[in-house]
Amino acid sequence: MNVMITGAAGGLGRSLANECGRRGYNLFLTDVNEDGLLCIKQGLERQFNVTVATAACDLTNAESVDQMLAVIDKHQIRFDMLLNVAGMDYEGGFMRREREELVRIVLLNNAATLRITHAILKRRRAGKPFNIVFLSSLASMFPMPLKATYAASKRFLLDLAISLCQELKNENVHVLTICPGGMVTTQKAIHGIEAQGFWGTVTTNPLECVARNAIDRALAGKSIYVPGILNRILFFLGKIIPRSWIAAVIHWRWSGVTEVTGH
Amino acid sequence: MNTVVITGASSGIGLETAKILTQNGFHVIGVSRSEENCKRAKEKILSENPNAQITFMQADLMQQREVVKVAESITLYLNNSGNGELYALINNAACIRSWYMTTEEGYEQQFALNHLAGFLLTYKLLPALIKAKGCVIMTGSGSHRGIKVHWDDIMLNRRYNPLIAYKQSKLCNLLFAKGLNDRYAKDGIRAYVVDPGLVNTDIGNKGTGGLVNFVWSLRKKHGVSPDVPAKTYAFLCEQKDRQNGLYYYLCKEINYSKEVTCENANRLFELSERLCGIRYEGKEMVAV
Repeated sequence: MNVMITGAAGGLGRSLANECGRRGYNLFLTDVNEDGLLCIKQGLERQFNVTVATAACDLTNAESVDQMLAVIDKHQIRFDMLLNVAGMDYEGGFMRREREELVRIVLLNNAATLRITHAILKRRRAGKPFNIVFLSSLASMFPMPLKATYAASKRFLLDLAISLCQELKNENVHVLTICPGGMVTTQKAIHGIEAQGFWGTVTTNPLECVARNAIDRALAGKSIYVPGILNRILFFLGKIIPRSWIAAVIHWRWSGVTEVTGH
Repeated sequence: MNTVVITGASSGIGLETAKILTQNGFHVIGVSRSEENCKRAKEKILSENPNAQITFMQADLMQQREVVKVAESITLYLNNSGNGELYALINNAACIRSWYMTTEEGYEQQFALNHLAGFLLTYKLLPALIKAKGCVIMTGSGSHRGIKVHWDDIMLNRRYNPLIAYKQSKLCNLLFAKGLNDRYAKDGIRAYVVDPGLVNTDIGNKGTGGLVNFVWSLRKKHGVSPDVPAKTYAFLCEQKDRQNGLYYYLCKEINYSKEVTCENANRLFELSERLCGIRYEGKEMVAV
C-alpha cells in the first residue's frame, strides 16, 4: 500500500504517518518543514522498518508541487491512499489579522488541497481501490465568528468531499472526511484547550485514536468520521439549528475565550 | 576540578543538585530547555555562591537532534577547558504529558524525554565518562513499581494513559542503569538511579493541563523540598570508591522492581539503540 500524507511533519499528519507505519504501509510524506520531514522519516524507519520517501513542498506554490510531481513521475510511484492533512489557521478575529494571512488560509486549506488531490488521483494505482481522506473539522458544521475563514475553509472541504464521494464512487475511489474537535498537537493547543475550560476538554479528541480510527474507517469505505460522542451530537445540532443562532452563541462563547488568551 | 553534567538543571531537583555540587567544589554544566531558564538558574546559583563554577547550555532534549548537538557542545567544552573527562552525568530532565503527544521523530514524548534522551546523551558522552571512570545517575521514581514494560506498544499508542507512560519511563531508567552497569562496570563506570520520593516541584504542571495539572497541584504540597533528594545525588557523586548498588533513596540503597532483569535490560537496550540509531559497544555481559 503506497500512501501520500500532506502536512506530515507535525500534528495529526505525523500521527497518521505513525499509524500507517505501524500497518507496514510505504509512505510518501510531504510538508513545508524539511527538517521535520527528515526527523519523522528517521523515526518511522527506526520504529517500523518501512519505506519512507519525503519531499519538502509548499503546496500553495504550483511550481513547488510540479517539482514534487516530477520526482513522483520519474520513479513511477503510484498511490493507493491520499491523506490530505496540510492546513492552517491564524488565531484572532477577522480584522485583527493581516489581509494576506486570511488569504493564505484559503490558499493552503482549499486551493492547495484541490491541487494535490487532483494530481494524486491522476497518479493512483490502476485497477485498485483508492482512498482519499480530507481533514475537515467540527468547525465545518458551524459558521464561526472569530475563526470565520478557517471554519468556512473546512466547510469547503466537507462539501467537496461529499461531492467527490458520489462523483468517483464508480471509479472505486472512496472519500472520507474527518471532522475532529480540538486535538493536542502542540503546547499551544494545550493552552487553547485550557482556555476553553470544560468544553475545551470534553470536545478534545485523543490524537492517536483519531489517527487509528481514521485509517480504519477509510479502509472500511466510510464517508464521514466525527470522533467522540459529544462531537457527534454537536455535529448533528449543527444540521438542525439555524446557522445565525449558532453564530451568535459561538461569538458570545469565543469572545470570552479570546479575552482570556489575549487573542 | 571534576565536571558534572545535569539535565533539567534550571528548576526543581536539578537546580538544587547543581547548587549543592557547585558548593562542594564541582564544576557543573547545566542543560535546560530555554535560554531564559538557563540565565535565571545561573543567576540564582551565582547569587547564593559567587564562586560557583557553573555553565549552562540550552537544548530541548525531547528532540534527538538537540541531544546530539548539546552532547557535541559539552564534549568540545570538556576538551577545551580541561582533559576531556566527565566525572558524572545526571540524566534528570523529565516530563509528564496528559495527552499522547509526539516528538519530531514521532516518539511519545514521555518515553522520548524521560528515557531516550538520557540513553542517547549517555552514549554520546561515554568516551568522556570512561576517561574519568565516571558515573551516570538517573532520576527515577518509586512509581516504577507495579508495572511491566509494554513491549508490544512501548509508546502506548493503542491505549495512552499519562500515569502508565510515566511509570513505564521510570522503570526504563532502572533498566537502562542496569544495562549500563552490565556493559561498562569493567571500564570503571557505574550507573545509579535516585528515587527522589515525593518532591514539591512543577513537573506535573508544565505542559500538562487538565486532570494531571489539578491532581499534581494538590499532591505536590505534601512533597519534600527539592534540596532533600539533591543530597542523594551529591552523596553518589562524592564517593571515592563507587557504590555497588543501583537504586538509592535518601543516600541509602533500596530495593527495586523485580522487572529489573538482565533480559529486560538487554531488550530495552536493543530497542533504544534502534530508536536512537546508535549502537553501544561493550556488548559482552559481565557478572556484577
